[in-house]
Amino acid sequence: MPRLHARYAVPLMVSAVALLAGMAPAISAPLDLKLGALLESTGPLSELGPPAEKAIKLSAEAATKAAAAAGVPATVSMVAADSQGDPQAALSAARTLVDRGAACIIGPATTPESIAVLNGLTMQKKVTLWPTATSTRLRTVKDDGTIFRTVPPDDLQAKALVLAMDKYIGKGKSVSIAYRNEPYGDALSKSFVQAWTADGGKILADVSFDPQQATFDSEADQVMADKPDAVVVIDYPETFAKIGAALVRTGTFDAKKLFLTDAMSFAKVPDSIPAQAIDGAHGVAAGAPTNSAPYKDFNALWDKAGGVANTSLTSNMFDAGILCFLASVEAGSTDPGAIRDKIRTVTTDGAPQFSLDNLADAVKLAASAKPLDYVGASGKLSFAPNGDSTSSIYDVFQYQGGKQVTVDQVDVH
Amino acid sequence: MPGSDDTAPRADLDGARLIASPALRLAALMLLIYTALIALFGPIPATQATLNGLVSGTYLGLGAIGLTLVFGILHLVNFAQGDLLMAGAYATILTAGIGVPPPLAALAGVVATALLALVTEKLVWRPLRRSGAGTLQVFLTAIGLAMVIRFSVQFVAGSQVRSLGADVVSTVGLGGLRLGLMQVLALVIGLVVMAGVGLMLRLTRLGKSMRAFSDNAALAEVSGIDTGRIVDLTWLVSGSLAGVAGILYAAAIGTINPNFGVTLLLSLFAAAVLGGIGNAYGALAGGLVIGLAQDWSTLFVNARWKPAVGFAILIVTLLFMPQGIFGQARRRS
Repeated sequence: MPRLHARYAVPLMVSAVALLAGMAPAISAPLDLKLGALLESTGPLSELGPPAEKAIKLSAEAATKAAAAAGVPATVSMVAADSQGDPQAALSAARTLVDRGAACIIGPATTPESIAVLNGLTMQKKVTLWPTATSTRLRTVKDDGTIFRTVPPDDLQAKALVLAMDKYIGKGKSVSIAYRNEPYGDALSKSFVQAWTADGGKILADVSFDPQQATFDSEADQVMADKPDAVVVIDYPETFAKIGAALVRTGTFDAKKLFLTDAMSFAKVPDSIPAQAIDGAHGVAAGAPTNSAPYKDFNALWDKAGGVANTSLTSNMFDAGILCFLASVEAGSTDPGAIRDKIRTVTTDGAPQFSLDNLADAVKLAASAKPLDYVGASGKLSFAPNGDSTSSIYDVFQYQGGKQVTVDQVDVH
Repeated sequence: MPGSDDTAPRADLDGARLIASPALRLAALMLLIYTALIALFGPIPATQATLNGLVSGTYLGLGAIGLTLVFGILHLVNFAQGDLLMAGAYATILTAGIGVPPPLAALAGVVATALLALVTEKLVWRPLRRSGAGTLQVFLTAIGLAMVIRFSVQFVAGSQVRSLGADVVSTVGLGGLRLGLMQVLALVIGLVVMAGVGLMLRLTRLGKSMRAFSDNAALAEVSGIDTGRIVDLTWLVSGSLAGVAGILYAAAIGTINPNFGVTLLLSLFAAAVLGGIGNAYGALAGGLVIGLAQDWSTLFVNARWKPAVGFAILIVTLLFMPQGIFGQARRRS
C-alpha cells in the first residue's frame, strides 16, 4: 500500500502548501528550523568534517540573525551527526538527524553514502539532501526532486582538471592515472580520460585500485612504469597517505607533476600524508567567485568566527543552509516536503536578487511568499531539473609547504 | 564445516617432517613462475613485483599462523583474529602516544595483544567449551567478539585515521629494485618470527606438546600434558603473532583505522585455508602464495583485479587439493 499513499501524498502536499501560501502571511507560528549536518567527522574523508561543520553552523547563525533583522519569527540551528564515510553509518546518522528534527540534510560527501541516505530515508520523507558528492551518478538517480547540489558534477570537474593540466604541464603530454575503484573514482577517471584524450593528450597507465589493499606498491609501479609527464590520482586522503607513500617509494615520482581532485582538497595537509607525496601538487575543486561581494562577505564571517581555515566547498555548503532556510520561510513551515517545493522559488531567475549582505530583505520578501533569487557565496545558484548545479567555477589549488594555496580559477561549460 | 569435531580436517602441527616434498614442490613452482616472469617482463619488474608480493605475503602469513594454530589446537575458527591485529597496532599507537619510544611501544603492543587473546580465552572460550557450546554458538560468539574488540578500540581511540608515524617514504635500493625501509623491516622481522614459530613447534617441548594436543587432546592429557597450560600458551602465541603482524602492517602502510583488521580477515582465512587450515607451515606458505600471486598479477592485468586473483588462486587450489597445500601431504602419508 505505501505506493498508493505516495501517489496521493505528493499532490496533496503540494496543494496544501499552495493553499497555505495563498492565504497570505506565510509565517503564522514562529519557525524553529533545524539544519541537519551529515558530516564526515571520522573515516577516510575526516579532513572534510570540521570545515563542513563550521560552514553549516555559520549559515544557521547568519539565517537567525537575518530573520531577527527582518522581524520574522524564526530561529535556525544545526544538528550534526557523523556519516563516517560509510553508507550504512551515513544512513543511520541521517536517521538520527531526522529524529532530532532536521528539515534539510547538508552532506554527505560521497556518492555511495548519498544514495544510501536517499533510498533509505530522505526520498521517502521528502527531506532535501544537499550532498557535496560530485559523481555524475547522482544526476540520474531517482530522487523525487529531493537532491539539490550546490557543487558542480564531475564531468565538469574533469574538464577543469584538463584546463589546469594544460596550463601547468602543457597540452598533449602523457599522463598516468590512478583512481579508487568505486563510483567517484570510476566515473571521474572516465570523464577525465575522455576529456584529456579529446584535448590531444595521451594516457599511459590507467590503474584502478581497491582502497582496502594491504599494499599499494605494485599499483604505484604500474603508474610510474612508462615515465609519465604527469600523474593524476583520484582518491581520498586516508588511502592517498598509503598510495602516495608507495608512489614516492618508486623513486621516479615527482609531486610537482601530480594532479588531484576535489576529495583531496583541504586547507592543511594532514600529517599522515608524507610531504614528498604531495608538496607542489596541483588540484581542482569546485570554487567560488572569490572576488564577488557575497564570497567576500562569507569569507569575512568565516575569519571572524575563528577555528578551522577556509577551504573548498565551504561556501557551497553555507549556501545550501541559507537556501533551506529561505525556502522554509517561503513555505511558512519547517515541513521537509514544503521546503523541497520552495527551493526553486528562492532561486527564481529574473526575480529580485539578494545575497548575504541583504539577507534580511530576502527573508522579508520570502515571508510574503514572493519568489526571489538568492545569489550565493559560491556564485549564482540555479538548479537543473535533476537538481544539479549549473554553476561551473573551479579553483586550481597547489600544496605549498603543507598549505593549500589557490593559484588559479577556471570556468568550464 | 570447519570446527565440527568429526568432519574437521585433522590438525597437522606435526607436519614438520612431512612437509619436505610439498614444500619443495611449492618452492619449485614459485621459482618456475618467477623465472618465466623474468623472461616475459625483464628481471627488474619481475623481481620488484616479487618483493612487493613477499611483503604483503608476510603480513598475511603472520596473521594466518595465529589463526591456524588456534584452529589446530582448539578447532575454533577465530573471527576475531583480524581485530587482534588491529588491537596490536592501536595498543602500539596509544603507548607511543604517551611518550614511550617506538620499539618499546611495539613490544608493549605485542604483549598487550597476547594478553588480550588470553583474556578472551579465560572470559569467553573456556566457559563456552565447558558449557559444551555447539559449532554455531562458537561461530557467532567469535564474530561477536570481533565486533566487541573493534568497537572497544573505536570507543577508546576514535574511528579517525591513525598513523604509527613511521618513515614510509625512505627506501632501500639495490640495482633498479626499491623497497620501503619499513617494508624491509616488516619482511625481515616477519620471516624471522615465522621461522621462529616453525622451529618452536618442531624442537621445543612446548611445540611437541602443542602438536600432541592438536593430534589427540585426550591422549595428550592422559600422557601427562597440562592441557590447560597448552591452551593458554596457544592463545599467547597466536595473540603475539597477531600483534606483530598488525604492528608491521601499520608501520609499513602508513595509516590505519579500526576497520583494517576486519578488511584483512578474509585474506587471513584465505592464506590459512590455502595452506591447509590447522597447519602452521601451511599458513605461512598460503600467505606468501597469495601475496605473490596478487602482486605478480599486476604485471598482467589492472591492479583492480588483485583481490580477485588472490581468491581465484584459493578456489582453484581447493578444487584440486581440498585440504589445502599442506593438508594433502598428511592425508597421503
